[in-house]
Amino acid sequence: MKQVIKGNHAVSHGVRLCRVKVISAYPITPQTTIVEELSEMCASGELDAEFIKVESEHSAMAACVGSSSAGVRSFTATSSHGLLLMHEVLHWAAGARLPIVLANVNRAVGPGWNIGADQTDSVSQRDTGWIQFYCESNQEVLDSVIMAYKLAETIMLPVMLSYDAFFLSHTSEIVDVPDIEAVCDFLPPYQPKLKLDFSDPRMFGGITSSEYYYEGRYVMHRDGLQALEYYPQVCRDFEAVFGRAYDLLEAYRTDDAEVIMVTAGTLTSVSRIAVDHLRQRGKKVGLMKIRMFRPVPVHGWAQILGQAPKVVVVDRNLTASVGGVFAAEVQAALYPLECRPVVFPVIAGLGGRDVTPADIEGVLDYALGHEKPKDVPLFWGLKQ
Amino acid sequence: MALKRRSELAQTVPFNTWRDYPPMNTSVGTMLHNKTGSWRYIKPIYEDKVPACQNACPAGNDIEGWIKFLQRGDYEGAYRHLKREEPFPAILGRVCFKFCESACNRLTLDHSVSIKELERFVGDQVTPSKPHPDLPADHGKTMAVVGSGPAGMSAAYFGRLLGFKVALFEKLPEMGGILRVGIPGYRLPRNVVEAEFEGLHTMGVELFPGIAVGHDISLSELADTYDYVFLASGVHESMRLGLAGEDACPRVMSGLNMLRMVARGRDVDLGRRVVVIGGGNTAIDAARTAVRMGLDATILYRRSESEMPAHPEEIQEGREEGVHFRFLAAPERIDLNDDSTIRKLVCCEMELGPPDASGRKRPVKKPGALFDVETDSILTAIGELPVFDYLSDMVAVQDRVVAVDDALQARSEGHGKAKIFAGGDIVNIPHTVVHAVASGKRAAVAMDCDRIGRSFGDALKEITIGQGPAISFSAYMGWKPVNPVRQNLHVVVDSEKIVYDYFRKAPPVDKKTQPGHLRKTSFEAYSRSFKNREAQEEAARCMHCGRCTECDNCLILCPDISVLVKGGGRFGYAFDYDYCKGCGVCFTECPRHAITMIDEETPLEEEV
Repeated sequence: MKQVIKGNHAVSHGVRLCRVKVISAYPITPQTTIVEELSEMCASGELDAEFIKVESEHSAMAACVGSSSAGVRSFTATSSHGLLLMHEVLHWAAGARLPIVLANVNRAVGPGWNIGADQTDSVSQRDTGWIQFYCESNQEVLDSVIMAYKLAETIMLPVMLSYDAFFLSHTSEIVDVPDIEAVCDFLPPYQPKLKLDFSDPRMFGGITSSEYYYEGRYVMHRDGLQALEYYPQVCRDFEAVFGRAYDLLEAYRTDDAEVIMVTAGTLTSVSRIAVDHLRQRGKKVGLMKIRMFRPVPVHGWAQILGQAPKVVVVDRNLTASVGGVFAAEVQAALYPLECRPVVFPVIAGLGGRDVTPADIEGVLDYALGHEKPKDVPLFWGLKQ
Repeated sequence: MALKRRSELAQTVPFNTWRDYPPMNTSVGTMLHNKTGSWRYIKPIYEDKVPACQNACPAGNDIEGWIKFLQRGDYEGAYRHLKREEPFPAILGRVCFKFCESACNRLTLDHSVSIKELERFVGDQVTPSKPHPDLPADHGKTMAVVGSGPAGMSAAYFGRLLGFKVALFEKLPEMGGILRVGIPGYRLPRNVVEAEFEGLHTMGVELFPGIAVGHDISLSELADTYDYVFLASGVHESMRLGLAGEDACPRVMSGLNMLRMVARGRDVDLGRRVVVIGGGNTAIDAARTAVRMGLDATILYRRSESEMPAHPEEIQEGREEGVHFRFLAAPERIDLNDDSTIRKLVCCEMELGPPDASGRKRPVKKPGALFDVETDSILTAIGELPVFDYLSDMVAVQDRVVAVDDALQARSEGHGKAKIFAGGDIVNIPHTVVHAVASGKRAAVAMDCDRIGRSFGDALKEITIGQGPAISFSAYMGWKPVNPVRQNLHVVVDSEKIVYDYFRKAPPVDKKTQPGHLRKTSFEAYSRSFKNREAQEEAARCMHCGRCTECDNCLILCPDISVLVKGGGRFGYAFDYDYCKGCGVCFTECPRHAITMIDEETPLEEEV
């Protein structure tokens, strides 16, 4: 049924449809309304889940580690500093191979204290072993929750969904909320292979000496890469039921493009408009949307971007004194190619600053007009 | 038999490739191969220790031990176990000043366990004349005991258990000494005392009532005849007031004499009003006896109530029965009428000055503060002295007591073959029944050491309970303790070693003593023994300090699952030292300090 709902509530509905059994969360702007809605669903009986109130995000994730180890579908949501506080337990959850799903509302990291959209919080967690998705619409957010559990419970790794603060979290859009029966068919109840079980007593997360640890990490790496193989299947299955699909990446008007722009999150929607404008003016530009960022679909990226002589990567995040994280990852993916495009790393929109179609057109014009970037990265829109 | 070693169950799980890694980070086998016990530098052992009550008992009564039998409903077992350390529960259960209860660790929680009442209950369960199961064959050595009070009775009892042939001499026609003629019958019924003598008789003690040593038979004759002599003649001579008129009036007499006459059924004419002078137990006993004879009795004491040597409970009970008290008053003179009756007792008001040698405040007269007390009779109870005439200089006396060494052996001049020991009130120990019983026990053990040529001092190192001076007869005899675990007789478990979080408050059982106005009308015993249910309920309050009760606390709390139940009907637990890391959680959390941490290198004998 189609509803007009905010991005945060799209998450809540996704969690409800997945019949999550344990929700443990600590409120933080702009995530709060996700768990507000969920607590109301739990209170009303609409969702039969244990809602655990905790004293911090660290505890929220720790509680999910516990409940997921006990073999039930578990969820949490957070943002910015909350996600950073979880960092230690994020590593644990992935290492413990627990299929937890986390919704992260991308928000700037202080100081200066700022609640605007910025992806620095989630890209900082890129080495934790979690699968990462970036979403650009409320519909994609809801659908991604369902797909995330399907993927997580198959490859036994946790999944983090990220979407931009306020541009999605607090903006209402038309969302087709699926029927729960259809979701039940697509995503049956979680059947853990191993769990805390009195009839099969085991120690979880115990000491693992150097004799075994290395192999454990290798297995985790190997299984994580299988997400690239398995996710397209999830996507096809989802499309068959719900009529919507979100691939590992999305290529938009990239054929014959001289410049391909790379974006993640809501910047993608803005960029589509800019690409269309420039195409109308006869400029050969295209767009690649990053959806799955961990693991990186290296071959997919290289295949799309390798066709063009120039690539512009717009990062709404900053590793200070280095540059944008997506740009670095794109460059790494292109490096094995014999004929590599020129990459223009661009920083834009930090801390929720608006990035308009005109800005994107400006960036693309800059790339079209230059052989190589003059500044690396290029701080677009910086007050000079 | 040692328990099966868990380490033998250790198995290895092959791990050759990354494909052997489990789908999650979980154990795939056990950790039994990893003997974490090798990390340990201190280790726990189960070791029963001395409860505070036993340490406080002069006779070393193993209270916790017999309470355990009592809780199981094994009353005869409780009686037998009790009598291993303390022979006369029916008597001490009635008259003891219960040093145990003052030391009871339960006082920190609520109220002490009513040990004395429980002992009385146990003492009343079995007739003393029932044959004693631990009686050995005679070894031929003989012991004569002079005086049949609690010290003499105790020496005779333990002497028999040690295989001596024992003869017990009593000057009076009835056996029992102070128990018979000093302590009034309403506190200690005659039949209770008589029954204990039937018990001693059954054990083979020869009883000789009405034989006065020094008169009917001389001490040197005894010393020629017997191998060992134990002197326990007690203190029966009252100290005199030293006042004018004291000797001229028949209604001025010693409290001890009055008690002795009443006990022996003689008529005592004291008129209507009586003043008892003194503050000790004899004074209280005399006053309470007078009240029962229908007299108006007043205790006159020169200090205040808090300095009274009498037991506070007795003072309280006397007051309930109508005994009057006049503190800070001392007799000055007795004015007599022409017919030698008392006209008045002239007293002087006192006040308390600085402490004297006894540590109590010294009473001093207020100048000119004289007052008169109207009375028909006066009983003196300001202290008792021994009569040593019968010793005929064979035994050294110093400061009005027989001089004895640590073994209670007297210094005697070479008359006869016997070695002479002494105990009870004629040596320098507190004048209580339990101290007297303790002295008889100690002397009997000392005599046995002498008989077999063992140093008593060496024996003491093994049999002293806690800090002493009480000794364990069981340890001397090598009898098995109630719990078949290692025993440590030297460590006392006081309240600091108890983990009170594991104990619940529970008020003591109140068996409701008769009110004072009723009990003063009779010489009959006024308090009854516990009923079975009451005894069980009170016994359940015992915290079993220092002794394992198989409460499972160590079993539950061991983080290394290294406490194993012995099972198969065997008592207690065993530590699995293959895996015990020596963390000490069991030791810290044992509610009653029945676990000890010892250095890893300490050599231990095999598990009992």
